[in-house]
Amino acid sequence: MTQAALRDTSVDVFEKNQEWWWAAEKKRSTRLDYLRKAIWKKGAIGGLYAPGVKVDLERAKLHTQKAKEMEASPDPFVMKFAKILAHVLDNKTIFITDQAQLVGYTGSLPHTMAWDPSCASILNEEAYNDPTAIPDPVDENQQVIREICNYWIGKSDLDKMMPVFDMEDLMKMLSGSIGWGVPLARGGYSNKDYEYIMTGKRAFGDIIEELDRKIDEVDAEVHKPGATAETARMYDKLNNWDAMKITLEAGIRIAKRYARLARIIAENFEEDPQRKEELLKIASACEQVPAKPPRTLQESFQYDIFIQMMSRNEAIEGAWPSRPDYYHGPYYDKDVNIDKTLTKEEALDLVGEFLIRAAEVCQFKPKWTREGLQGIDGTWVWTMGGVKKDGSDACNDLTIAFMQAARLVRVANPTFSFRWHPKVSDEVMREIFECIRQGLGYPSMRHDPVLIANSMHWHGHPIEEARTWVHQACLSPCPTTKRGYQPMRMANATANCAKIIEYVFSSGFDHVVNMQVGAETPDVATLTNFEEFFGAWIEQMKTIFSILVRAVNRARMLAPTLTPRPFLSGISERSIESGLDTCEPSLAQGNAWITAFTWVENIDSLAAVKKLVFDEKKYTLAELKEALAKNWEGCEEMRLDFVINAPKWGNDDDYVDDIMLRCLDEAAKFSKVLKCPSGNNWPILPENVSGNIHYANIVGALPNGRRLGDALYDGGVSPGPGLDKNGPTAVLKSCGKIDHITGGRAFLLNQRLSPTQLADEKGYQLWRAYMRTWADLGIDHIQFNMVDDKTLRSAQKDPEKYQEVIVRVAGYSAHFVDISRKTQDNIIQRTVQGLG
Amino acid sequence: MTTCQECKSFFPLDEDQAKGDCVQRVKDPRQAYYMAKPVNAEDDCSSCASFHKKEFVQ
Amino acid sequence: MKCTECGNVVPVKDFRYLYNARIDSSISIRQCTKCETWLAVDELNGVVTQAVGAGEAPWGKSAGIEGVAAA
Ligand code: SF4
Repeated sequence: MTQAALRDTSVDVFEKNQEWWWAAEKKRSTRLDYLRKAIWKKGAIGGLYAPGVKVDLERAKLHTQKAKEMEASPDPFVMKFAKILAHVLDNKTIFITDQAQLVGYTGSLPHTMAWDPSCASILNEEAYNDPTAIPDPVDENQQVIREICNYWIGKSDLDKMMPVFDMEDLMKMLSGSIGWGVPLARGGYSNKDYEYIMTGKRAFGDIIEELDRKIDEVDAEVHKPGATAETARMYDKLNNWDAMKITLEAGIRIAKRYARLARIIAENFEEDPQRKEELLKIASACEQVPAKPPRTLQESFQYDIFIQMMSRNEAIEGAWPSRPDYYHGPYYDKDVNIDKTLTKEEALDLVGEFLIRAAEVCQFKPKWTREGLQGIDGTWVWTMGGVKKDGSDACNDLTIAFMQAARLVRVANPTFSFRWHPKVSDEVMREIFECIRQGLGYPSMRHDPVLIANSMHWHGHPIEEARTWVHQACLSPCPTTKRGYQPMRMANATANCAKIIEYVFSSGFDHVVNMQVGAETPDVATLTNFEEFFGAWIEQMKTIFSILVRAVNRARMLAPTLTPRPFLSGISERSIESGLDTCEPSLAQGNAWITAFTWVENIDSLAAVKKLVFDEKKYTLAELKEALAKNWEGCEEMRLDFVINAPKWGNDDDYVDDIMLRCLDEAAKFSKVLKCPSGNNWPILPENVSGNIHYANIVGALPNGRRLGDALYDGGVSPGPGLDKNGPTAVLKSCGKIDHITGGRAFLLNQRLSPTQLADEKGYQLWRAYMRTWADLGIDHIQFNMVDDKTLRSAQKDPEKYQEVIVRVAGYSAHFVDISRKTQDNIIQRTVQGLG
Repeated sequence: MTTCQECKSFFPLDEDQAKGDCVQRVKDPRQAYYMAKPVNAEDDCSSCASFHKKEFVQ
Repeated sequence: MKCTECGNVVPVKDFRYLYNARIDSSISIRQCTKCETWLAVDELNGVVTQAVGAGEAPWGKSAGIEGVAAA
């Protein structure tokens, strides 16, 4: 839209036409408008990075340079690693964007993606082979990248871990057929001990003092007369504490560098007195945090950004577990309501900018990750609302400010997930509804009482700890407490579950990657009844889950020594207290889960086989096996029979819903057989990110009627797109048959609603009534797309005009134009449900 | 040999004048910002395209 | 089957299968390997129904009841 057209059209007209992105542009402050447009789009479009976004070579060079320099140093690995991290933070380029009030970024410049060459040499090769992301001059920089790649071959985390894994399991996993991601403590989803670090009781300076005390005490202890096994172990603790201290001190130093830059700009370049004052405020904030606890909302946000930035310099973090209204809320209250040092509008600017700073964060990722997370860099699902430790409502004025700011800045990442409970006020619910109605696709809604009980059931978290939960990735709850928080969720315990049913037909042989991956169950044509068939399914399920879990368990055991996290340990109470790395399993309660991608295909396939093969005897298993092997080519009538004449999940039909319950029951039983290194269970969590598209060319033909190439269902317990024919209540009733406490760790449910129907007060009341049914049925999750087909088709035709349309993909939101055509079509195919 | 300390963009540290920041104003296609990169006063900058001589050296 | 765009005639299975955007309909999206056009194919009858451009939905509107409020 031209500037003139934007100026001449009123907010009302835009809102009436549901062109929310233009309305937002007119409503937000000039500062937010500038900052929102200033960020570079880092999420990959389809699977490719946007033009102009470049790999950040500075970080890779600094890291490699220091690693080389210290090769001969006698320091233990954890110390070397801490020194490398400090070297990177001390020497990286920093910047302050015009009009910004918050500072800090993972890369060196706004258009760069931080690249950590020490995680996995397979990732490094992607940096070398990604011509779109290599900075100019390309030839020269390709040479630099080659040298860095060569240095890390055999030295990266994954290269060090590979020889100590079960090689057979590893090959199956790396084939890309059943798992997603690699088992590394420096690559995955990292929660934080926010109860220790974000409650205003302490900051880095206090922790450093505590570490000094610990080091002095233990140093004195080891030098007393006598020697025991415990004294022998104390040397490792001393090293760990020293390493933590090195990283925390580096964190304080880089903040001071930002303070200095802000002062230099204010004193030497800036002429506008108001901006000068803002720069001095930035300087004062960066001198305060992270060294000392924050005093204001601005400092509290700044503190959080520094923590995230440092943690993302230490590891590749694909998620952003966070509860910002809860931890920053007291500062909002103090500044806006008590001291009145900030107006609501000024606070809204800060909240909006906080979202923008998070939206620009990016770390270079391999293509399979980008394809699975189309349009975003990682799943920054921020947790809102919920209850306090005593069970009272935790919503506050900042909860509302976040909802309002989200509608103004309209970023696709971070998104919000709201912990609903019966005490949430109508005011907050209306703010949430407004975000959903305005097409953000978030907040998703979570059933707090159910999920607190679920955390206690599966992992035995005490109730006060369970109540602190945040989303560790898209969906899984995890406490933010000393023992409850999980430092790293390794993404490779992500099962491509459609392979379970596929392998029943191939006796575990994978025809796409050409290797035996699953169990060698009997030839499917020889199975004579449904129970035998289901038995083969159970066998394949157990085999796939075990391969993935074994690898994560091994990596978790090795993490403290092979891939330590001194910074993350330095902000974790359990490590400060014990002197052990925060990934040490014995310190943790355990909060593992298996993400079950492409789960519902199993249910619809099993139901189709039961009905058409065993009940009606219309086809034999041999005939079905042959049709699947041919990818249904030449069998269209038969394929349609399996789609149309077999019951489908999501229609309140007990025939197929009972199969869902049986499958979940078998998985739940096995979840208790599988144990994590902390001794806790491995429940499943059905959801998809955009794995349904990534796996489209990896999963073969299935009895639910899909062919190799078709998008899989959009995930979790969402019905197949277009297959939920009995209306929204039937979908809820099917999902409500699942016990969302004991059936699994969480279940993703996508629903599309009509934006026209929900346009006014009547629409809000319809949605509230729908949400009451959802709550009464005890369903743990639901999320909505509220953009109509017409807008989405127009966006496909004319993407330039619809750059800002946001859709809910799976556990995250993305700009519609950034996702592949197949994913776009898949979203359009989802049934638009009419309420009431 | 010209060195960073002779350059307008060089800002020495109070506590150690031999070290400092090279502070530059940048306008990229999306935003304008100031950036700082650690440099040493004595760094050889004969090939630095951004060198601008200070009016007087402190 | 004949490509409506370039006249290429080969068996249906030799048109590159892309995806079946609606699992419960027999229309799929295939690509002519000669001219690379995306084609909507009626799988039951083995004929091309139309070429597919950006924003087009040869399989119809979403399965649900879009416009329900207007009704
Ligand atoms: S612009 Fe060049 S010469 Fe000037 S301080 Fe920076 S690096 Fe040194």
